[in-house]
Amino acid sequence: MTTVQERETQGTGTTTVVTRVRDRAGDTPSGVAMRAKTKGLWQETSWAQYWDDVLDVAHALLDLGVVRGDRVAIQSENRREWLVADLATVAVGGVTVGLYPTNPPAEVVHVLRDSGARVLVAEDQEQLDKALEVSAELPDLQHLVYVEPRGIRGRYTDQRLEFWADLLARGRAHRAAHPGAVEQAMAQTQPGDVMTLIYTSGTTGAPKGAMLTVANVESTIAALTGPAGLLDPPAGPGDLTLSYLPLCHVAERIFTTWNNAATGIQVNFAESIDTVPENLREIQPTFFFAVPRIWEKLLANVQVKQAAASPLKRNVGNLGLRLATKVGAAMEANGGKHTAGSRVLHAIAWVLVVRSLRERLGLRRVRWAGSGAAPVSVEVLRWFMGLGVPVHEVYGMTENTASATANRPGRIRLGTVGEAHDSVELRIDPTTGEILTRGGATFAGYWNRPDATAEAVDAEGWLHTGDVGVLEDGRLRITDRMKDIMITAGGKNVAPSEIENAVKVSPMVKECVVIGDRRPYLAALIGIEPDTVGDWAQRERIAFTTYRDLTERAEVQALVQEIVDGVNAGLNPVEQIKTFRLLPKLLDHEDGELTATQKVRRSALAERYGPLVESMYSSASATGKGARS
Amino acid sequence: MTAVRESADPSSVPEAKGRRPWGRPQLYTAYGQDMALLNTGAKKVSVGVLLVVALLLPFLLEDDLLRLLATGSVLAIGAIGLNLVTGYAGQVSLGHAFFLGVGAYTAAVVSGDPEDDQVWGLGITFLPVWLLAGGLVAALVGLVIAPLASRLRGLYLAIVTLGLVFLGTHVFNEWDAVTGGIGVGRPAADPVLFGVDLSRRTEAFSADQQLYLLMTVLLVAFALLGRNIARSAIGRSFAAVRDRDIAAEVTGVDVRKVKRRAFVISGFYAGCAGALLYSITGYLDPSSFGLLVSVQFVAMVLIGGVSTISGSILGAFFIALLPRLTRELPEYLPFLSSSATQTPNVFQVETLLYGLLIVAFLLLEPRGLFGLWVRIRNYWKAWPFSY
Repeated sequence: MTTVQERETQGTGTTTVVTRVRDRAGDTPSGVAMRAKTKGLWQETSWAQYWDDVLDVAHALLDLGVVRGDRVAIQSENRREWLVADLATVAVGGVTVGLYPTNPPAEVVHVLRDSGARVLVAEDQEQLDKALEVSAELPDLQHLVYVEPRGIRGRYTDQRLEFWADLLARGRAHRAAHPGAVEQAMAQTQPGDVMTLIYTSGTTGAPKGAMLTVANVESTIAALTGPAGLLDPPAGPGDLTLSYLPLCHVAERIFTTWNNAATGIQVNFAESIDTVPENLREIQPTFFFAVPRIWEKLLANVQVKQAAASPLKRNVGNLGLRLATKVGAAMEANGGKHTAGSRVLHAIAWVLVVRSLRERLGLRRVRWAGSGAAPVSVEVLRWFMGLGVPVHEVYGMTENTASATANRPGRIRLGTVGEAHDSVELRIDPTTGEILTRGGATFAGYWNRPDATAEAVDAEGWLHTGDVGVLEDGRLRITDRMKDIMITAGGKNVAPSEIENAVKVSPMVKECVVIGDRRPYLAALIGIEPDTVGDWAQRERIAFTTYRDLTERAEVQALVQEIVDGVNAGLNPVEQIKTFRLLPKLLDHEDGELTATQKVRRSALAERYGPLVESMYSSASATGKGARS
Repeated sequence: MTAVRESADPSSVPEAKGRRPWGRPQLYTAYGQDMALLNTGAKKVSVGVLLVVALLLPFLLEDDLLRLLATGSVLAIGAIGLNLVTGYAGQVSLGHAFFLGVGAYTAAVVSGDPEDDQVWGLGITFLPVWLLAGGLVAALVGLVIAPLASRLRGLYLAIVTLGLVFLGTHVFNEWDAVTGGIGVGRPAADPVLFGVDLSRRTEAFSADQQLYLLMTVLLVAFALLGRNIARSAIGRSFAAVRDRDIAAEVTGVDVRKVKRRAFVISGFYAGCAGALLYSITGYLDPSSFGLLVSVQFVAMVLIGGVSTISGSILGAFFIALLPRLTRELPEYLPFLSSSATQTPNVFQVETLLYGLLIVAFLLLEPRGLFGLWVRIRNYWKAWPFSY
């Protein structure tokens, strides 16, 4: 641990997430930095231990010959070693490159080759195998560190492999021989130094590495956790958060690593993405960020379980939720704050159903809830607001370090992504309607892609986000991705994501992709949610075997038709979905249909399901009934 | 993760273990939290409230009810003992009445008047002494019986322990020097604590108030002890033997030792309960330790809830208060007589009820009153869903 004297002799004095962790370890060495569940227990890591491990690994990286500017890749689920390796890399001036644990070998080779990573920290045999499979094509990759030894130790003889514990031992030896080496390296860090490459998920083309500098990250930290940040009072060491989204994505990096270092919030790692509901119940976070998919899933779970509840519970529950709906409407009108009337209703609903519901959802103690990374439907947010959990939609992208706009507590307007951060300039391009941002958080460019960088950031420093939106008294409403805007054969501009989200509100629908560019009318490919539809089919006594079989049932087709009709009723005739087909399989990252962040790759889908799409336009009748094949 | 921890430098192990953020009952940072005596906030509150109510009752209730509740407390101690051997360790015992008798007579002898030339007496009236003596002698008998249990199981064990009751009845009937003989009997142990005979009224309290408080305190102590036995390694080895003794042996549990322990502990509880039970009435008759008493205890365990301490207490109070309810029956059902000489009478109804209740509970709610409580609790726990 660093003493005060050592801290004072630091060189440039640039604040980085690493110095923040060092200072926390100095001030509150025994405070809880993070918890991970092992053998049924949430075992904690103190700030002192966190910092100690960072120092060890940083020394080990120096010993491995990692110098300023070298890239260190990490492919792992969220765990403390991810954070330790990340910070150790930044400490020695390296650049962290995160890979999704779901990345298939083809993408792994692209990212590793493009970034030229020298060291890879792989979580386990599964991740290690992906890299080893393609390591012949990666001359720069010299060291592979694995964290879980199962299946590797004693079986793999590759000279480049090193077990995590051995890495720590190597670091300790180096630390004893060269005390202060890491501190020296840290002291040379400049604000303009690149500290991480974040590969954008790339719904089109190969992923590009966005370079984020120390200054970018500090700018975002200041914007989100500062006085005018996400919540008031700001997050602190008494708050808890759950870490479960991929850490290589900028959003989770902010909410886990950087927020943790900046505010001291206690990070709790979920066991896996599948155990998020249980882990939420255990942790009861005070600070919870989720992607729309999770919010939709939480809502769908409640609806399914409620439908299966005994009549008394169902009726009392419905009564409570009806009150909650009124609370939500009142709060929505008041910017997400309670009114006197909504407080009374909330108190009644609280006793009837809301308290237990929030406890079971794991939202009992939530102080700030956020949604981002994809568009979310207003209905879902309204429902959670009814439970007294105002969800703040935030907006940002990798290229502006995820800080552009956010709904502020008490000034929420559903359907918008809120107001621009104080440090961010935001305007709408008058001709194209594209959202442009400028500020300290704008990235330093794409790695090795000056052409793409020039496309994204213009000469005046405005970042072209690629999103189309409008400003409504200072609040930004996003229409859609620029390239997704469709022009039907009739010449009408249609933003598909709004329609898609309206369909996805239903717990029965998992995916919806609206098609209609240069087509006579809109059509949709819809993927059903196997859990809820399966549950529904069981209750309706409809026999089915597989997912595909389920999608082919006439009853299921009728069910989806009903949902689509409901959505159509609220839309202009041009925006209505005239016909649809159910996708015969669940979309998957491995098959290239989804990006690593579970966003649909429209081009891949159009290619793969070409005949299915064509069948919607070739069939004789384009009315709703025609959808049943 | 674990592997890393194990190989990591010992100095890097976090110094403070088991810190748990406030208001998160399902977040466990140490196994001890899961196994804690009062592992939820609701339990802490309800046990606290229950204790306060129990201490206030003597000032609110009539003396005859207090006496009944004191008897219930003592029966509960006995029922916990039977539940430990039958419920937790799975060794069916119908011989509980015999252990009860052994304890009662031991205590009576220790506390008895040495001047009395009819029966033996040592004249040590100090309650802890005769209580412990009664418990220990019964535990010793349990130790002697235990080898039978390690050779027999199930029905055979039940029959053998049933035999104990008949042996006991015979001995008690014939051994006049200890028991006073049939129809004569002898005075029971005197509950004297620091020179105060609690079975006689004092200036501040009536005899029943004192006995009630004494028995309540003892029940709390014995229940706490029982609960701690149940949640410790001993209790878990009991459960292992109950669920599958061969598997238990494979996992390293010494089955014979566990069965011996179960009988010794159960004997101790029964002995203490026997000693205390008759100090309430002040008199004991050798015919009081028949099969019916054993059946009553089995009923307490089954009605209350197998393998639960709180269930044993519930069951004991249920059985203790049942006669009080059946005595009220003739008022509503005129054909029932309250006299033992006429048929049908309330005593027959009572006996009938024991049997019927056992059958009904085994069929409808094998987990007993405690199981009913668990159902209620789970109903509300799952609110607003059904699962």
